[in-house]
Amino acid sequence: MNLAARIYQRLAQAFPHEFKLAYGDDMMQLGDDVVEDVAKRGGAPGLIRFIADIAIRLPIEYLSEMRHDMRYASRALIKSPGFALVGIVSMGLGIGLTTNIYGSAWTLLTRELPAANAKRLVTPEKPVSYYYIEQYRAQKNLFAGVAAMQNGVPFNVGLQGQMDAKPERIFGQLVSPDYFSVLGVEPQRGRLLSPELDKPGEAPVVVISDRFWRTNFNSDPNVVGQTLRLNGQNATIVGISPRNFEGALSMNPAELFVPVTVPATLAPELGNDVLHQRNAKEFQALMCLAPGVTIDAAEAALDGITRRLDEQDPSAPTREDKAKRVVLLPAGTRAPIPRKMRPVIAGFFAVLMGLVMTIACMNLGTMLLARGANRRKEFAIRLSVGASRFRLVRQMVSEGILLSLLGGIAGFALAYGLSVLNSHIPQPAGEPLQPIIALDWRAAVFAFAVAVVCGIGFSLAPALQATNVNLLPALKEGLALQLPGYRRFGLRNVAMVTQLTGSLMLLLITGFLVLGFIQVNSIETRFNPKTMVLLSIDPVRDGYTPEKGQALFEKLPERLRSSGMVHSFALAAQPPFSVVDDDGDAQLTADGAHDSSRVQKLAVRQIVGAGYFAVLNEPMLTGREFEEPDQQRQIQRSQTDGARAGGTGAVVLPVVLNESLARGLFGDSSALGKRVRDDKQSYEVVGVVHNLKNGIGMTQSIYYVPLSQRDFERPPFGGITILVRSNARTDALSGIRGVIASIDPHVTLFNVQTLSEYLERSRYVMRSSLRNYASIRLFGLILSAIGLAGVTAYAVAQRRREIGIRMALGARQTQVLRLVLREGTALIIVGTALGFLGAVAMAKILSALTSFFADAFKVGTTDPRLLVGAPLLLAAVTLFACYVPARKAAKIDPLQALRQE
Amino acid sequence: MIEVDPHAFVPLKTQWFHILLSLAGGEQHGYGIMQEVLQRTSGKVRLWPATLYGSIKRLIEAELIEESDERPAPELDDARRRYYRLTALGRRVLDAECERLQELVRAIHVKRAMVTE
Repeated sequence: MNLAARIYQRLAQAFPHEFKLAYGDDMMQLGDDVVEDVAKRGGAPGLIRFIADIAIRLPIEYLSEMRHDMRYASRALIKSPGFALVGIVSMGLGIGLTTNIYGSAWTLLTRELPAANAKRLVTPEKPVSYYYIEQYRAQKNLFAGVAAMQNGVPFNVGLQGQMDAKPERIFGQLVSPDYFSVLGVEPQRGRLLSPELDKPGEAPVVVISDRFWRTNFNSDPNVVGQTLRLNGQNATIVGISPRNFEGALSMNPAELFVPVTVPATLAPELGNDVLHQRNAKEFQALMCLAPGVTIDAAEAALDGITRRLDEQDPSAPTREDKAKRVVLLPAGTRAPIPRKMRPVIAGFFAVLMGLVMTIACMNLGTMLLARGANRRKEFAIRLSVGASRFRLVRQMVSEGILLSLLGGIAGFALAYGLSVLNSHIPQPAGEPLQPIIALDWRAAVFAFAVAVVCGIGFSLAPALQATNVNLLPALKEGLALQLPGYRRFGLRNVAMVTQLTGSLMLLLITGFLVLGFIQVNSIETRFNPKTMVLLSIDPVRDGYTPEKGQALFEKLPERLRSSGMVHSFALAAQPPFSVVDDDGDAQLTADGAHDSSRVQKLAVRQIVGAGYFAVLNEPMLTGREFEEPDQQRQIQRSQTDGARAGGTGAVVLPVVLNESLARGLFGDSSALGKRVRDDKQSYEVVGVVHNLKNGIGMTQSIYYVPLSQRDFERPPFGGITILVRSNARTDALSGIRGVIASIDPHVTLFNVQTLSEYLERSRYVMRSSLRNYASIRLFGLILSAIGLAGVTAYAVAQRRREIGIRMALGARQTQVLRLVLREGTALIIVGTALGFLGAVAMAKILSALTSFFADAFKVGTTDPRLLVGAPLLLAAVTLFACYVPARKAAKIDPLQALRQE
Repeated sequence: MIEVDPHAFVPLKTQWFHILLSLAGGEQHGYGIMQEVLQRTSGKVRLWPATLYGSIKRLIEAELIEESDERPAPELDDARRRYYRLTALGRRVLDAECERLQELVRAIHVKRAMVTE
């Protein structure tokens, strides 16, 4: 009973101030009076009701108080529409931008798959062979299930009833039949794949995505059971995956899910009996952890298992390294983000969003500050007639919250507009789809939360300052009687410097990125990229047998040359300047005399045919490039070596290194004739070539190996690319069409485009993110301009009286202006210096953490346009914002300024 | 002054009705209201303190009751407490509510009579 009484007293103390003023004592008293009676009549349940009643009333009373505040605040805002408008626009821009960032990039990286097991999914960092996956699957104590998949697999798809139409290239996943059950995904219609139903030798089946169903079948409910032509073979559609499911571990939505049990004629990726080769590390394992198993435990156990499996393999080179062989990553999102990268990515977005929000909130804060100063008299009156300071503070904070909530609504509308705009930008055909993420309730909650937190956070300080009033002079003067001394760390100076620092940092960082990307993006070719045509063929996916495909490629160069229609041409397994993520996954080792002189470099492997560099007009720095015998040499080798083509055969292949790799491996000494090896093969360096940038302008270490029979039999996902240079585009194209048709009219040509078109497309993704950064920059600038103008205008307006006195004592207009501008300049210098330091530090941190930003920052941070332009721009805005109100103040009649008292 | 239609408040919330009814006899303080309600309903309805004062606050805002400056006879007065009384509007609202309830009771009687016949 005593306890109940004490709890009651506590809760009663916590009631809103106004309520307590009127009823607090009575309520306390009443509690004391009745608690005994309640205990006597009702016992413990009675006491509980007694406490529950007051506990429920407490938030109700606060809500009702808030309603009053809000009503009052909205009345106050309606009375000063200019102030409200600027505040809402400012907060709206800030919240809109952050919501946009949150809703697009952030969500893309962190949103979980719509799959029941998403939280328990993991994947090894590196692909493994199907054999290994089967071994992993046997570890029932570790994993509830292990599926195998290949991502981004292209299929030439002909829709039923449109046999004559050109097949489209659609991207999907090649998955083991247990894929969907490991993920925990249920079908929308029909059935998904299952190990019981999908066995090798059964008629080929395919599961289509919801998006594919909608776009290609017009959501026809009877689609299950129909036939699709995939790579020239029939496959029955057995089911539709659920809405929003776009495949595991896939940045680009997958539209088809084909089981690995289909014959290799349908999916050439499965050729060469790849499912049973221990060494064919071509599958991504997707595991669902067993209940109670942590990712670390699974990683440790899996590492041991993999080590044993590696040792059992007689053909694999013995490795004695102690390094981890398996690194498990959480796989419940689109991209498996290494755990140590998570804070970096989160940090980057948090800083970006934080900067935008800081600027917007500083705007709000300074505006409230200025408003508070103008309302001193009002506050003083209210205080003197008995309003509590807390009450006034709450009033001002309510205004802040209301403003920022309205801003939040405007911001959400803005973000929504941006996302709609984004989804209407056409995606290039023939490329994997780009995911579109619509804003949803999570983004709305985010915007709302940001609005409330910022509204409270940034209106509290001004409110406290404004209500800290010395009553008498405030009542008498309206404005403070004492001339506010020039305080170096006064709130308004700090506000102005923070504003400037934040704006400059935002401007510089986004500027570094945009300029850096643009600059590294400009790929210089030694010829007009419009005169080069790229086209791809993939005979095996047109239904060819490997032998027939091989024969086609053997005939092709001969025929092209004899046609006399093309200037020069070459084959390659990937388009030139193609984009490879990361630093490349091949480890290249230079064979030194002893182990100590061994140098290892990560490099990107590219497979190119004879005459490749000649077509690109790239002279060799030293040595020679591949000739046709280089391709032949490998063919002979693989014929003798038979199936063990992937082993460490004694045959040494020629290799061409690019400049940066050659320098990395051999320093300044000549690379020619030196031996290097990767995990598959030994090579002899026959030539060194200039660094060719990739499509997004990054320079990577690249080694070029010659095309081989294997590439012809099982072309890579992009098909075999033919590079043709000519003087007139149409002639060359029709020439090649003719040549290929004369060999076989049924071969599909795809990705037909000029090099310049291709480069344009490969920059598509980059461009869309650039657009985002550029828009952040633009809005950021508008925000800073509003803010700076607001802050300085306020600062100057506060000094009207002082200016009036100066003028009365004989100061001239120009002197007053100079005074104001000089102080403004001092603040600008401080803000600029801080902003610079902050931006450079951020750039350093970010580029140290990811190679992706490093290149862009390297170029961007040295660009004079940005380094000089950005601060000047902001300084100009600030000075202008100082000048206008100062001039206005200087123009007023000194008498009038003085009489204001 | 604009006449407020008492019917706008009808039907009344139970707590409001009980508070108004308790004040119908004259001014009362919170504790008194609570006790009276408890007795009148033979212990069935208890206005818990926070609910009571929350309701009083709203009733005052709605101008159905007001704080009273008149004190009862000194020997009965409890100086620490605030006293409340009905306003004219409050009285009319209470009348309207009572009328409504009587209508209901009459309807029940009529119905019962019809059923038993």
